[in-house]
Amino acid sequence: MLSVEGLTVRADDLELVRQVSFDIAHGERVGLIGESGSGKSLTALALMGLLPEGVTATGSALLKDQPLVGVPEKRVKDLRGRVVSMVFQEPMTALNPTMRVGAQVAEVMTLHGTPRADARARTLDLLRRVGVEAPRAYPHQLSGGQRQRVMLAIALANEPSLLICDEPTTALDVTVQKQMLELIAELAPAVLFITHDLAVVASVCSRVLVMYGGRVVESGPIREVFTNPRHRYTEGLIAASRLTPRGTRLPTISGTVPAAGEFPDGCVFSNRCAHAMPTCSQEPTLQGEGHAYACWHPRD
Amino acid sequence: MIWYLVRRAAVLLASTAAAGVVVFAFMALLPGDPAEVALGVNATPEALEALRRQFGTDRPALAQFLDWVGGLVTGDFGTSYVTSSPIGPQIAERFGVTLTLVLGGMAIALVVAVPAGTFAAVHHRNPLGALISAFSQVGIAVPAFLAGILLVFVFAVQAQALPSGGYVPFAEDPSLWLRSLLLPWLSLGLVQGAVLTRYVRSAVLDVMREDYLRTARAKGRGRMGALWRHGLRNAAIPVVTVLGLQLATLLIGAVVVERVFVIPGLGDLLLNGVAQRDLLLVQGVVMMLVVAVLLVNFVVDLAYAVLDPRLR
Amino acid sequence: MRGNLVVGAVLVGLTVLAALVSFVWTPHDPTLVDAAHRLAPPGGDYLLGTDKFGRDTLSQLMVGARTTLYVGIVAVGIAALVGTPLGMVAGMTPHGWLSELIMRVNDLVFAFPALLLAVMLGAVYGAGTLTAMIAIGIATVPAFARIARAATMQVMVTDYILAARAAGRRRTAIAVRHVLPNIGSMLIVQASVSFAIAILAEAALSFLGFGTRPPTPSWGRMLQEAQELLFSTPRLALWPGLAIALAVLGFNLLGDGLRDHLDPKLRRIRAER
Repeated sequence: MLSVEGLTVRADDLELVRQVSFDIAHGERVGLIGESGSGKSLTALALMGLLPEGVTATGSALLKDQPLVGVPEKRVKDLRGRVVSMVFQEPMTALNPTMRVGAQVAEVMTLHGTPRADARARTLDLLRRVGVEAPRAYPHQLSGGQRQRVMLAIALANEPSLLICDEPTTALDVTVQKQMLELIAELAPAVLFITHDLAVVASVCSRVLVMYGGRVVESGPIREVFTNPRHRYTEGLIAASRLTPRGTRLPTISGTVPAAGEFPDGCVFSNRCAHAMPTCSQEPTLQGEGHAYACWHPRD
Repeated sequence: MIWYLVRRAAVLLASTAAAGVVVFAFMALLPGDPAEVALGVNATPEALEALRRQFGTDRPALAQFLDWVGGLVTGDFGTSYVTSSPIGPQIAERFGVTLTLVLGGMAIALVVAVPAGTFAAVHHRNPLGALISAFSQVGIAVPAFLAGILLVFVFAVQAQALPSGGYVPFAEDPSLWLRSLLLPWLSLGLVQGAVLTRYVRSAVLDVMREDYLRTARAKGRGRMGALWRHGLRNAAIPVVTVLGLQLATLLIGAVVVERVFVIPGLGDLLLNGVAQRDLLLVQGVVMMLVVAVLLVNFVVDLAYAVLDPRLR
Repeated sequence: MRGNLVVGAVLVGLTVLAALVSFVWTPHDPTLVDAAHRLAPPGGDYLLGTDKFGRDTLSQLMVGARTTLYVGIVAVGIAALVGTPLGMVAGMTPHGWLSELIMRVNDLVFAFPALLLAVMLGAVYGAGTLTAMIAIGIATVPAFARIARAATMQVMVTDYILAARAAGRRRTAIAVRHVLPNIGSMLIVQASVSFAIAILAEAALSFLGFGTRPPTPSWGRMLQEAQELLFSTPRLALWPGLAIALAVLGFNLLGDGLRDHLDPKLRRIRAER
């Protein structure tokens, strides 16, 4: 249903996201994991046509055969909030402080043609379903978790085909986090779930993409990728997130994530990889069906 | 909300009272005796005494103060020691003129600043926005009376299109009234507009960076649509604060502009009063101006609460 | 923007230069009345022409720069010396009664615009440069107090202040050693902006006749004299007007430039209400 092919995001001459390709089927939940600086947020913004000034995207992204990338704002505007919508990371600042919550939910519907009265009725229904039955409240009167649930209501109001979540629970307490994830699992259609938290992505998604340095380095069914990672970066990630027995050192990936534009040529991970070889100066392509990885010397 | 209003009203009252004390104390420091000033140096002690009794200046300061304040509350500003005419009516008459001047100036300032500031913010990266910023910088550096002189030069001296001064009441001749006020309004308005442009630009820029604008766009709004529907009300909050301050500045600017254009407003009255050492008159006018400023602040506080639900 | 700083510094520098040079030399004696050369056009002996009394405009401008700078320095000095400690005290104990009192009085003074204060002071003590300076100074105190308070409050919650307090340092020591240097940059910016406002206020006062008394030259009064002759000799208004505008512009740009330079990520301190 969503088909992304060769998505590249550039800021001037700097490539921030390179040749990202993936598909999402109807009703499928796909996770996109990576650290800060991996390009995952930019990928999401590119799909929504919300890239900041000076940043452009090329490549193709088709949602139900409708192009999302490379089309003028006028066309993307129509799709945003209606066919594809997004929930952002920071609930505290995502809502207009001078507007009542119910009005903000209704807005996304009336914007796309729903008559006022219908929008109002549906708003009440949505708010009830996410558990925040306070349409006349102002955002500052709600907690972070409540605000995020309102954001979810807004995102799902027009029954989009794809919901993109960019770290939706990172700013929330653990218990609230759980509620939010359950809601998403219950209400959302197809989901692209972006996060750096492996446990969270495992509880919601069936498939996962691992990003590093603006590229997809591994992808596949969650269970497989987490229990049997092939790319060295994924291997390091999984190892670092496991609880270690007492007395042992926490495994880490040596080095730090380079700044944009300072990634090595060839394999993006080569400068931090313990298994790097001369062949790694050639960029590996994603290979494998189902469980794919881009590495010359994968773990086996 | 109610509490907020009550607190603000209490502050207003307290400030007014304090201002009254300050103004009175100030004028009480004025050296010289009004009776002497009125009768001249050669007056007999008895005549002076009699006049003092008539003026009420022989009583202790506190009594005079209470008397004055009591009068103020009922709108009686007393009778001038110098001209022997009641001060209240003079102030009332002139206040209307000054008010017209100030409101007109404010209107022009807003008409200039809101579009210019918004434009400068939206285009803050390209030369056009920078140009507007530059213009507003220059505008700030020009005092209102200089702008007045410049405008008089262009429109009255060169073009001979508008009068260089004088005032015609609306009742007498509406079109002449307008013409006599046009240049003064522009002098005040353009300068204040430049100042306001900077604040509008800054407020809109701040709002442009806010997350809720991104949310609005995620809903399907375009850039301008999001700014218009969500940004404006939020940007208005800091701008309204400044408006209040600006109104006070405008009030004072009006005092000077009245001199430039020979307009019979409060400022003119004040300056004449000082020149003639008309103590009671000056007291009354200053009090009037200060109360006006305090009232404006109060109204701004109210507007603040209306615009920003977080305050209620 | 770098440009702001440079242009501002240049303009301010020019004004200061003119004032300094005037102590040593001016083309003519600015107070010298020369009936034979009244209203002379620019050129020749009188570079910028003369006024209705035959006094040289350029010399008047140069000496007038002195007045402008005097008033600015004294006014801003008073405001900074009085307003900063008040603001700091209010900022270090933000919810105490003292802080409330200071801010209320602050607001009250704020309600008395500089011009009004100057007129009142002038009525009592006679108009002149001194009363103008003091009046403008008093009227500028609230601005400094507010900025000092807001900046102090920002600084008080930083870790190193907490560390100092945890180490048991006395309040005054903390104030002088830690808070002051850190709010200094914001105060400097405010000083520049207030200087510009002081110049405008002085010009307005002189224009109204409440500022510097004749025969001491003053830009504001030059403008007033020029206005009387606007129909016949409009160029008289050009020079003092330009001088005022450029000086004010200079201080404003300097303030902006300093603000950007000293702390580019500075979140605008919203005037607290």
